[in-house]
Amino acid sequence: MKKMNYAKIIFIVFALFPFYLSAETAEEQGLRIAKASYENGRGFTDMVSDQLMILIDPKGNEVTREVSGKTLENLDPNDGDKSLTYFKTPKDVEGTVMLSHTHISDDDDQWLYLPALGRVKRISSSNKSGAFMGSEVAFEDFSGTDYRKYEWKFLGEEIENNETFYKLESYPNYENSGYSKRISLIDNLNRTYKVDFYDRKGELLKTLYLEDYVLYKDKIWMANTMKVENIQNKNITIFKWLNRELDVGINKKDFEKSSILRLAD
Amino acid sequence: MNLEDRIEIFGKILVNHRIKVILGSLLIIFTISFGMKFLETPSGYRGFVEEDFKYYKDVLDLEEKYGNIDVLTFVVKPEKGNIFQKDVLSLIHELTEISWQTPYSSRVSSITNHQYTTVDGDDISISDFVDDVDSLSTNEIANLYGAAVLEDAVVNFVMSESGKIGLVNINLEMPEDIAFQEPISFAWEQKNYFEDRYEDIFVGVAGSAQFSHNFQSTSESDASKMYPSFLLLIIILTYILLRSVVASIISLIIIILSIMPSLGAAGWLGFEVQPPLITAPIIILTISLTHAIHMLSIGLTNMTEGMTKNDAIIESLKINFIPIFLTSFTTAAGIAGINFGDIPAYSEMANTVVIGAGIGFILSVTMLPAMFSLLPINARKRKSYVLEVLKNLGELIYKFKERFIIVITAICIAVFSLLPNLHFDDYFSTYFDRVPEWLEVKNTVDPEFGSSFYIFSDMQSNEPDGITNPEYLKKLDEFEGWLLTQPEVADVSTISDVIKSLHKNMNGGLDEYYAIPDNKALIAQYLLLYEFSVPYGMDLKNQMTADKSDSRILIRTNNSTSMESVAFNARVDEWVNENISPFKTNGVAGIPIMMPQLFVENTRGLVIGLLISFTFIIMVVGISLQSFRYGIISIVPNIIPFVLGFGLLTLATDMVTAAHQFAVLISIGLVVDATIHFLSKYKKALAINLPPREAIQYCFRFVGYPIIVASICLFSGFLFLTQSMFYYNFIIGGMCALIIMIALLIDLLLLPALLLIFGKKV
Repeated sequence: MKKMNYAKIIFIVFALFPFYLSAETAEEQGLRIAKASYENGRGFTDMVSDQLMILIDPKGNEVTREVSGKTLENLDPNDGDKSLTYFKTPKDVEGTVMLSHTHISDDDDQWLYLPALGRVKRISSSNKSGAFMGSEVAFEDFSGTDYRKYEWKFLGEEIENNETFYKLESYPNYENSGYSKRISLIDNLNRTYKVDFYDRKGELLKTLYLEDYVLYKDKIWMANTMKVENIQNKNITIFKWLNRELDVGINKKDFEKSSILRLAD
Repeated sequence: MNLEDRIEIFGKILVNHRIKVILGSLLIIFTISFGMKFLETPSGYRGFVEEDFKYYKDVLDLEEKYGNIDVLTFVVKPEKGNIFQKDVLSLIHELTEISWQTPYSSRVSSITNHQYTTVDGDDISISDFVDDVDSLSTNEIANLYGAAVLEDAVVNFVMSESGKIGLVNINLEMPEDIAFQEPISFAWEQKNYFEDRYEDIFVGVAGSAQFSHNFQSTSESDASKMYPSFLLLIIILTYILLRSVVASIISLIIIILSIMPSLGAAGWLGFEVQPPLITAPIIILTISLTHAIHMLSIGLTNMTEGMTKNDAIIESLKINFIPIFLTSFTTAAGIAGINFGDIPAYSEMANTVVIGAGIGFILSVTMLPAMFSLLPINARKRKSYVLEVLKNLGELIYKFKERFIIVITAICIAVFSLLPNLHFDDYFSTYFDRVPEWLEVKNTVDPEFGSSFYIFSDMQSNEPDGITNPEYLKKLDEFEGWLLTQPEVADVSTISDVIKSLHKNMNGGLDEYYAIPDNKALIAQYLLLYEFSVPYGMDLKNQMTADKSDSRILIRTNNSTSMESVAFNARVDEWVNENISPFKTNGVAGIPIMMPQLFVENTRGLVIGLLISFTFIIMVVGISLQSFRYGIISIVPNIIPFVLGFGLLTLATDMVTAAHQFAVLISIGLVVDATIHFLSKYKKALAINLPPREAIQYCFRFVGYPIIVASICLFSGFLFLTQSMFYYNFIIGGMCALIIMIALLIDLLLLPALLLIFGKKV
C-alpha cells in the first residue's frame, strides 16, 4: 500500500510538472537561484585575506599588485558590507588604506588614507563603474555579487566542461552601470562559475571566471581565484585570495572612519 | 614580309573569324571581370600609406600601447549664444548617453559626463559636470560656463574656449580591416534625429573616423554620380565625331569592355576602392575611346572613299596598329611612373590604368575590327570644314614658321618666369573640402578648435611606476609647455595635468597647489585614489601603460600645411633630443604627421618616377621613329604643355600638391600620343618624297582631325573628373584637361613649325 502511494505521488508530480513550471516564472526562478548563490557566500561574519592582482596585457607583460583586506559582514539585510583594504605594493602606495561602506541602494561611502599626505579623504562618487588600478575589474563587479542590485531571469540549463549549469541573465537596476546585461553560469552547488559582461551597446565586453572554490565553515563557498578576460582589448586580470580566514573576530570599530589613522600605522 | 603585310594578314583572319573573335574575347573579358567582386572597401586614410611606412608604424606602436587613435566626434553648435542653454545641454546630455551605443565605441566624453570634482575640506566629491539638466535653473546653467572654462580636460577637448561649440567625442576600437561604415551610419542617424528635434542647434559629424569614411563615401558618390552621366556624354561625343550610330555603339562597347576587366583585374589583385581608383575607369575610357575613334574614323573615311567595309577596317588597322600600340605603351609607361610614389591607392589606380591601356589596345585591334565587320555600318561623308581650317592653318604655319616659333617661345619664357612662385606643399585637411557636409563641419570646428585632428606622443620613464616620479612629470610638463608655444599646436593634455588638479583638490581646492608635488609616493597615492573613482570608459588606460612606466600626450593640432608639419616634426625631434633625457620619447605621431611625411616621400618618389618615365617615353618615340633627331624634337612639344600648364596654375595657387604631380605622370603619356601620330606621318610623307610644305599638309589631312578628336575626348574625360568630391581627383582632372588642351595647341601650332625648320633631314 505504501509503495502504491509512493508511485502515485511520483505520478502526480509528473502530471503536475507543467503546472509546476508555470508556477514559477523565469524571473522568479532566476531570482531564486541568484539569491541562493548569494547566500551561499554569506554568514562569514568577518574575513581577512591577502590578495594579489595580476594584470596581463595582450603581449603577455605582467604587473602584480599586492593588497590585504578585512571585511565585516553586515547582518542588516538592507545594507552592504564594510571593508578595509591595505595597499602593499608598489612601494609608493604602501600604507594607503581604503575603507568602504557599501550600500544597497545609496552610493557607497569611501574613505582613503594617504600616508604621504597624512590625511583621510572622503571620496563620494556616484559613478564608479570604471575599471580600477589599470585592471579589467570595476567596483560594480564586486558589489554586483549582491543579487538585489539586478533584475534576474532564468534562461535554462547549459552544459560546459561536462557539467550542467543554470544559466541566468541579469540587468543592473542602478544608474550609471557600464553594462547592459550579464549572463551567469551557476553550478548545482549554487556557486557562480562564469559571468559574461555585455557593454552598454550590448556587445560582449569581458568574461569572469571564478575558480579555486573552497568550502569554509562547512557551509560557505568562496572562490579564491577570479580571472577576468576582456574580449575587446584582450587584457586579462587575475585576482588571487591567499590566506583567507573567516570569523576571526575583528573589532567592528576598526571599520569606522575614525579608526583609519590608528590602523594605518 | 614586312610588318604592314603581317598586320593585313592578321586583319583578314580577324574579319574571317569575327564571331569566334568576339565570343572568345567576351569569354576572357567576363572571366577577368568577375574579379570586380573582390574589390575591397577602402580602409580610409590607412589605405593611403604603406603598412611599413615609418610614420604609420609610429601610429601603430602608439595604438598597441594606448588603444586605437580614431575618434568620432559630434559637433554641437547653437545658432545663437553658447552651449550653456537648457535645450543645448539637454541635447548634449542625451547625445552623450546614446553615443555609448555606437558600434565599436570604447569611450564617450562630453561636457555633460566630464568628471567634475568639488572639494569641501577633506570631502572630495566627483560627479558628472551636468547630470539632470531639467533640475537646473537658468541662472545655474549660465554659471556653468565659468566653471567649465577652468577645467583643463574640458577646454579645447569637449568645449571650445568661447563656449560656443560642444563636442561629444567617441573613441573607437575598430577591429582590423573593418571600415567605419557602422559607427558613421549610427552617427548620421543621431545627427538627423537631433537636428530634427532641436531646430536651432547644428549637429555635425567630425573626427578622424568621419575623415577616414570620406574616402569611402566620396568613392561611392563619385562612382554613382560621374559614371552614368559620363557614359552619356561619350555616346553624344562619339556620335558627333563619327556621325554613325553603329560606330558610336561599337566605341561604347569597346570602352565598357576595356573598363570591366581592368576593374576585374584590380579586384583579383586585391585593390581597394579608394577615391583615386574611381578615376581609373574614366582614364581608361578616354584612352580606349581615342583608340576607337582613330580606328573607326579612318575606317569610315575609307568607306566613304569607296572601299568595302572589310577592306576599310583592315586598311585602318594597317594605319593605326603601330600608333595605337605606341600610344598605349607610352600612356602606360607614364602612368606606371606613379609606382615610384608612396601612396598605395595611387599606385593601384596607376596599375589599373596600365592594365586598362593594355586591354584597350588589344580590344581595339581585335574585337573592334571584328565588330566593325559584323555590324551594319553606313558611312556618311563628314563635313570637311575642320579639314579646311587645318589646311589653311598649315599654309599659315608654312609662311610664318619663324614667327610661330618666336611668339610661342616668348609666351613660354613669360610663363616660365611665373614658375618660381610655385612650391611643393599641400593640406591633407582639404582632401574633402568639396564634400559640403564635411566642409560645413570643418568651417564650424576649425575657427574654434584649430582643427579636428590630434597627434600623440608617448613619454617613457624607463621603469615601472616611473610616471609617478616628480622628475618625469616635470619633464612632461616642460614638454607640454614647449609644445604649446608651437603654432601647429592648439592644446595639449598630459597625465601631469591630472596630477596637478589632484594635488589642488587634495589641498582644499586651492589654486596655489595646482602644481606637481615633489613627493613620488604622494603622486602614486593620488593616482591610486583617482583610479578608484572613475566611471566606466574614463579610466586612464588610454593615457598610461598598466605598469605605469609610460604615458601618452594628446595634442590637438591647428591646420598646417605639409611643409609646416614636417618642419614642426623636425623641431619636436630636435627639442626632444636636447631636452627629454633621461626619459625617452619617439616624438610625435598621428594623422597630421603621417600625411605630410607621406606627401614629402611621395613627391621625392614621383620626381624620380617622372624622370624615368619621361626618358623612357622619349626613347620609345625615338626608337619607334628610328630617329634621334625626331626624338629630340618630340621633347619640345611634350615639355611646353607642362611649363605653360603650371605657369597658368600660378594664377590659381602657389601650391603644387601631390595631385598636381600625379596629373603630370598621368598626362605625360597622353600628351606624347599626338606627337607620335604627327611625327610618324611627317616621316612617312618625307619618305614618299613630299616637299616639307606638302608634308605638313599631309600630316594635317591624315592626323589633324583624329588628333583634335582624341584631345577633345581626353579633355572632356578629365574635365569630368573635376566633378569629383575628392579634392585630389578634382585637381588631377583640371590639370590634365588643361595640359591636354595646351598640348593640342602646341602640336598644331608649334610642332609643324619646328619640323619645317629642324626636321628636314631624316
